[in-house]
Amino acid sequence: MSEIKTNKLTGTSTAGSIVVTGEGNSTTTNLQQGLAKAWCNLNGTGTIAQRDSLNHSSTTDNTTGTYTFSLVSSMGNTNYISPTNCDRTIDTRNATEGVQYLNIATGSYKIECVNAIPNLDDQELVNTQTLGDLA
Amino acid sequence: MAGTIAADTLTHSTAGSLGTQFVVNGSAKAWVNFNGTGTLAVRNSLNTSSVTDNSTGNYSQAYTNSFSAADYSICATVADNSGVNAQWTYESVSTSGFNYLTADDAGSGYTWTDYASNSATIHGDLA
Repeated sequence: MSEIKTNKLTGTSTAGSIVVTGEGNSTTTNLQQGLAKAWCNLNGTGTIAQRDSLNHSSTTDNTTGTYTFSLVSSMGNTNYISPTNCDRTIDTRNATEGVQYLNIATGSYKIECVNAIPNLDDQELVNTQTLGDLA
Repeated sequence: MAGTIAADTLTHSTAGSLGTQFVVNGSAKAWVNFNGTGTLAVRNSLNTSSVTDNSTGNYSQAYTNSFSAADYSICATVADNSGVNAQWTYESVSTSGFNYLTADDAGSGYTWTDYASNSATIHGDLA
């Protein structure tokens, strides 16, 4: 088994583009484009707290069920995606919760979590991941 | 100079080691951000050859490079910046694409609806 020890991977032809051979051993996928650039597991109840995260500097509790996630390293444009799911109470079946995201900026984005009524609602579990182009 | 590195492990001086299976298996193989209202427009994407507007709230995403099987994972979000009723689901999953469905859930049943912010990530095995 071989091992590479390095702190940085850089493409030779294009610094920000490295391809990886896929599982089928034929087609390739772009490494940088396929990597999550940020993710966060947030407790959105009470005094909100990030349980764990990547590339998130802070999360702001704007109002009930509304959170702003700020990034350490900004995205290169506002065309990135941040699919998010939430759970009002962990391990408890709740009415369908929905997530809206808005105020998308290169350095932050805001989401609103709602219940089935629908009203804005704090969530015990908010999971988000961000893919797109880093600045 | 272009080159190829074959290795089973990547090691960072402080952040630890990572088996390269996580690089190959853990990377998203496709993702898309599109505006589903009016004339459909893809804002940005990976491994997506097209998104077709089939009907209201019904879109087909097609991949450039297909998956080896139709058992991959799809995670998506639909957003209506002025409302709170947007829901999504999917159907017709194949190795080359799937149908992305969006609806308004106003409490009295679903109504297929177009939304401006739609995004999906796909993890699985490429062919």
